[in-house]
Amino acid sequence: MTTEHLPEHPEFLWRNPDPKKSYDAVIVGGGGHGLATAYFLAKNHGMTNIAVLEKGWLAGGNMARNTTIIRSNYLWDESAAIYEHSLKLWEILPEELDYDFLFSQRGVMNLAHTLGDVRESMRRVGANKLNGVDAEWLDPQQVKELCPILNISDNIRYPVMGATYQPRAGIAKHDHVAWAFARKCDEMGVDIIQNCEVTGFLKDGNKVVGVKTNRGTINTEKVGLCAAGHSSVLAEMAGFRLPIQSHPLQALVSELHEQVHPTVVMSNHVHVYVSQAHKGELVMGAGVDSYNGYGQRGSFHVIEEQMAAAVELFPIFARAHVLRTWGGIVDTTLDASPIVGLSPVENMYVNCGWGTGGFKGTPGAGLTFAHTIATGAPHALNKPFSLERFETGALIDEHGAAAVAH
Amino acid sequence: MLLFSCPNCGPRDETEFHYGGQAHVPYPKDADALTDKEWSEFLFYRDNTRGDFAERWVHSTGCRQWFNMLRDTVSYEIKAVYPMGGSRPDQPPATAAQTQQKGQQS
Amino acid sequence: MAQTAERENDVIRGLRRSPAGHLADAFSQGSVSGEQGVTLREVPFLTMIGVRAAPGSAVWDRLGAVMGGLPERYGQVTGSGAGDGPGTEQGVSVLWLGPQEFLVIAADGPNALGGGAAGASLLGGLLDALAGDPGQVVDLSANRTTFELAGPSARAVLEKSCALDLHPREFTVGTAVNTQIGLIPAVLWKVDEAAFRIFPRASFADFLGRWLLDGMREYAAVEVP
Repeated sequence: MTTEHLPEHPEFLWRNPDPKKSYDAVIVGGGGHGLATAYFLAKNHGMTNIAVLEKGWLAGGNMARNTTIIRSNYLWDESAAIYEHSLKLWEILPEELDYDFLFSQRGVMNLAHTLGDVRESMRRVGANKLNGVDAEWLDPQQVKELCPILNISDNIRYPVMGATYQPRAGIAKHDHVAWAFARKCDEMGVDIIQNCEVTGFLKDGNKVVGVKTNRGTINTEKVGLCAAGHSSVLAEMAGFRLPIQSHPLQALVSELHEQVHPTVVMSNHVHVYVSQAHKGELVMGAGVDSYNGYGQRGSFHVIEEQMAAAVELFPIFARAHVLRTWGGIVDTTLDASPIVGLSPVENMYVNCGWGTGGFKGTPGAGLTFAHTIATGAPHALNKPFSLERFETGALIDEHGAAAVAH
Repeated sequence: MLLFSCPNCGPRDETEFHYGGQAHVPYPKDADALTDKEWSEFLFYRDNTRGDFAERWVHSTGCRQWFNMLRDTVSYEIKAVYPMGGSRPDQPPATAAQTQQKGQQS
Repeated sequence: MAQTAERENDVIRGLRRSPAGHLADAFSQGSVSGEQGVTLREVPFLTMIGVRAAPGSAVWDRLGAVMGGLPERYGQVTGSGAGDGPGTEQGVSVLWLGPQEFLVIAADGPNALGGGAAGASLLGGLLDALAGDPGQVVDLSANRTTFELAGPSARAVLEKSCALDLHPREFTVGTAVNTQIGLIPAVLWKVDEAAFRIFPRASFADFLGRWLLDGMREYAAVEVP
């Protein structure tokens, strides 16, 4: 192999600045949500004197560990609104960010394996249509036409009895998404500060006025928490609790194969979701581990069960090899819906509890959370996702649509 | 695969157990008297500790008994297994007066 | 009257189908004799009675008196059938399932569940001993079936999918435990150095039967040195 054909080394997409003494706003967490929030703060609200603090490296947490599925076929009006807005943003972001992050609208199928599944799925298709979300009900034969490698025989433990299908849904290249946001943030003057771990908060009464980090104290007027699995830890530092439990969630990839899987297939019932990445590796997500865990790893039997289900649904996968498995930390709420809004601490805002919805929700979360931080009040889209809902009882139960991790 | 030491059956695979969440959450002594906020805290708010965490497990496919476990949620190391009703081994036992005040200890 | 009930019970017995009855031929064809042999058969319709009682209570003592003592520790089996080897199912055994939960196993027939005079059967005797006090005596005969896996390779077949330490040093003859085999919950009782009784729930019997047959298959082949 000669070096002359290698691509040129890319220029750095963002600066690597030291933290300043103070900012107008500090976002804690340099993943997809933190970067999207900073992007919309700068673009929509003119707030450019802001910093994104990342304790590790940019987009190295759940942003690097998810299965990149994007869809908006949630049941309730509130969820459909925010996820559908998010999907619409996904559709325009490659142009807006001037970065082709390989958003591929190859459609997503959610399989139904029992009569209960069928009823729930049909109900969701109806609800989606009422909310302007593209949705179809497919019978097993139509499932087979869209995804020929699926086994639709009724001779398996959980036969495919049909599926919901969202044609506009799909996948994107997760790290390119993060780089796209980071580059634009940087261009607008946002400081992205890596290796900067938050160790505490400065408060004046009940008002947050600064952030303590391993790279010094930073004064700020507003703080937005975008730390996914670690949100509870940060909230505890700030002196309040969140109704969140952090669990391990695992995923894996095979070696590269030629393209055999044209869409995205999810099955809540047997705990598996599969797509094929652009390079050709099969990307699969497993079920959540039952116990609380911050270890970024889960138990082997979860992977084993997921593989058993995947091989039954896709017999040709039996000859594929697992190349790599990994785990992330998902922050789950009791109603499987996120929390985006104000916190009990003045000028501190929380964006967490996305469970498995985090990646698909990235632009929607960024847009609405930026609005919340800039104006001190929630955007219409995230108003229902407040912390107060656990008190008022206005829960948004998305266990049926939220896939496996709740 | 984690290996748990069931107090009745000895070491068994994690797959034989089910998780019961945070231990030592007292049922409110007078649930009717709680405000909406207090009730929501009892229903929805649980500790999400990064580090040593006291939690409940049940040996579903063994003796079907519940027990408490102290586990590090980062390393997953099991620090202690102790009976329901017992107090956390790494903390001094609550006094009778405290228990009375907090309601029924589980 | 009693005789009529007896006849009706006989008719009903004749109509029963055991959970793995459809696999009887497969079990006998899949069984292997010889030095590496392992055999599998279903022992259908054993009587099973679920018993709950708190150790130290009066109920515990009364139930124990009927059974010749209830087991007091993990793995223990009491009763007249505790020493039964493979192929014998005449005695009455009590298996420890939990500190307050036990499984009584006896042969099929009117002596176990009644049909004769009230109180004369095993179930009737236990109900009399319970006398309505806190505790439980309930007929669970249809809940599980019984497999007998025996032969020099029986342990090896089990070890493929049971995570327990089944080495004879650790898992001795006469021990019965509740555990998982091939991902399903089952009670496992070692009745002899090379014989195990397995009690899966009825709905898992087909799966476990085929699973064990699959595990036995290699021992039918000539061993390659």
